[in-house]
Amino acid sequence: MTTRASRAGGTGAGLPPGLEPATAELLLALADDDFVLGFADSEWTGIAPHLEEDVAMSSLAQDELGHASAYYALLASLTDGDPDRIAYDRPAEAFRHARLVDHGRGDWARTMTRRWLYDTANAVRLEALAGSTWRPLGELVVKVRREEAYHLLHGAAWLERLARIEGEPRRRVIEALELVGPDAPSVLAPLPIEALLLDTGIQPVPGAELLERWAARITPVLEGLDLALPEPHPAALDPARARSGHGPAFSALWTEFESVRGLDREATW
Amino acid sequence: MTDPLALDPVLPERERSKLPFNQDRPHDERYQAFEAHVLAGGKIEAGDWMPDEYRTSVLRFVEMHANSELMGVLPERDWIMRAPTLRRKLALTAKIQDEVGHAQLLYRVAEDLGKPREAMLDDLLAGRTKFHNVFHYPTRTWADIGVIAWLVDAAAIVAQQALRDSSYAPYARTMKKICWEESVHIMHGRDVVVTLAGGTASQRAMVQEALDRWWPPLMQMHGPRSDRATDRDLHWRIKAKTSEELRQEFLGIYVPRVRELGLSLPDPELRLDPETREWRYSEPDWAELRSVVTGHGPASEARIGFRIAQREETRWVRETVLGPAVAA
Amino acid sequence: MLPGRSAGEAEPGRAPAGGPNLEPFEVFRQEREGEPMRHGGSVVAPDPTLALHYARELYSRRGESLRLWVVRRADIVELDDQDLLNPPLDRSYKKPGGYVMRDKLAEARARTGQVKRSASSGRSAKPAATADGGDPA
Repeated sequence: MTTRASRAGGTGAGLPPGLEPATAELLLALADDDFVLGFADSEWTGIAPHLEEDVAMSSLAQDELGHASAYYALLASLTDGDPDRIAYDRPAEAFRHARLVDHGRGDWARTMTRRWLYDTANAVRLEALAGSTWRPLGELVVKVRREEAYHLLHGAAWLERLARIEGEPRRRVIEALELVGPDAPSVLAPLPIEALLLDTGIQPVPGAELLERWAARITPVLEGLDLALPEPHPAALDPARARSGHGPAFSALWTEFESVRGLDREATW
Repeated sequence: MTDPLALDPVLPERERSKLPFNQDRPHDERYQAFEAHVLAGGKIEAGDWMPDEYRTSVLRFVEMHANSELMGVLPERDWIMRAPTLRRKLALTAKIQDEVGHAQLLYRVAEDLGKPREAMLDDLLAGRTKFHNVFHYPTRTWADIGVIAWLVDAAAIVAQQALRDSSYAPYARTMKKICWEESVHIMHGRDVVVTLAGGTASQRAMVQEALDRWWPPLMQMHGPRSDRATDRDLHWRIKAKTSEELRQEFLGIYVPRVRELGLSLPDPELRLDPETREWRYSEPDWAELRSVVTGHGPASEARIGFRIAQREETRWVRETVLGPAVAA
Repeated sequence: MLPGRSAGEAEPGRAPAGGPNLEPFEVFRQEREGEPMRHGGSVVAPDPTLALHYARELYSRRGESLRLWVVRRADIVELDDQDLLNPPLDRSYKKPGGYVMRDKLAEARARTGQVKRSASSGRSAKPAATADGGDPA
């Protein structure tokens, strides 16, 4: 649907005048989160702990990349651009993914803990965006949510198993929570241009409210496992810093995914 | 596909298959009934009685196939992170996911013949069992990804199609599913090659260089010519075609498809003999095949080392969360 | 006998009491609406929840199934004794092929003056090989 819309170039027409830049910021946040997480998690393909799990993990990564592609295509329809150019032809500092997904994939416990934190936060965000007044976004989000349902089941199954087995699994989950947990709220932190999006209902629910909904949903699960989310990192809640100042793990990732395309950006690959 | 028996002629004596082939066997009634059933086109299921040599032969065959799927993940895996467009990235990840899925399907078939998955991994990583020659080579450019997905998969699919009627039914069923999935890989690989061949001068040079590098291992991949009459796996219909039959089939389909793109193949002898309708080619370097499949290929050590390290890295998950394997 | 009966013999007693164990689950899939559930293959998983996840991945990641059934292999009871499934003596009276009426019908039609005009009329002279009750299969 989105590709047809982007070719026609008419999707942006439904936006109130002057709102393209703010909407583009929102789409970029959604797209970059899924793109970077999908890239990092796809690294497990071929080396996961169990062959069956390897195939499952790869599907999750592909889903994220597929969602990112759809968001980039919608974004391209606003700017008359090309989804691959948006995804690939930007300097590393122009990426707008949240601090949570900026960490490297780490071990299996970190990957699973981060996935669970991200999937639960993303679910809250998408639930709200399904009601966006900008219909192309609302319609896309409805489809993405249907695919994300599986992610929630898979993530919960793993978090539970890891946290309930005393010894190494539980110790590793706690370590992972300590490392990435403080950055988890960055996924839902208000965007700098949030006010504009809220006024028009393109984003129906403010970030602060999303954060509360998310906390209400995950706290009982964590308590049930005798776990707790650490205090947020100050940058994770700061609109100016939640999605910038990326670290070395992302630099390495960026260098890698640019390496072939960067040989000739004008060529067809 | 290089199956274990097809490799025998290039291996030193001590490395060859030492399995008996209808020699000094008590040909009891059960054995004769099995022979008659299989030779008449009958199928064998995992729970059926089968002679030990048959079980061992199927296990060796399937295990090497599974090993190859698993090790075949590694040359392409490095490029998941480097795929140059969103669609290529998705296609490549999905393709490699399929290889992992095929390893799962094949290891399941082998496990049901009595060898635990972890034992098969132990043997693979200790160099006691083998995997396809082509996966012992490094990948150097993005064009390698096209050539592997197109031509390596094509060479493999020619062999796998011939296995869809294997006498060992669980293997035959698995081959049907695998062939269906791999037909997509060939499309993906061909699309990458066609795109590069029609691209800039340096893209064309990149794909020609990759083709020149991969052609000799591709010609070795099915193994040297062998005698149909003494091939135990053919006799029992575990497989259906000889190495040379597979290679001829591969050349017949793919040489014209490569050449129509304006790409050349690095063998001056390569041509279709108009009289015999057989492909002529320079004799592949069987010494290279021997050296490579016995673990002395240019990337053998790195690949095995990487697998060992990754297996260690995730051992704790298997030992605590997944648990040891129990049979049903 | 079930496949895989010998798989566990190689590592006896490795399973710690009470901990998880990887075990085979069989996967059945329905490809199109109205079609029967067919055996697809198997996965190994420590429990039914993960087995279901893995079945989805191995048997429908291209959307090739409408429904999956996942069954612990240990819970399947199998019968493959041919004496029980295909007893050797005649059971043709239970099958449509056990009833060959061609010649008798031709006679009846001749008696009542109705001649069936068809290409098969030329073949009606052929002896009905199974008219004596032998299994036509």
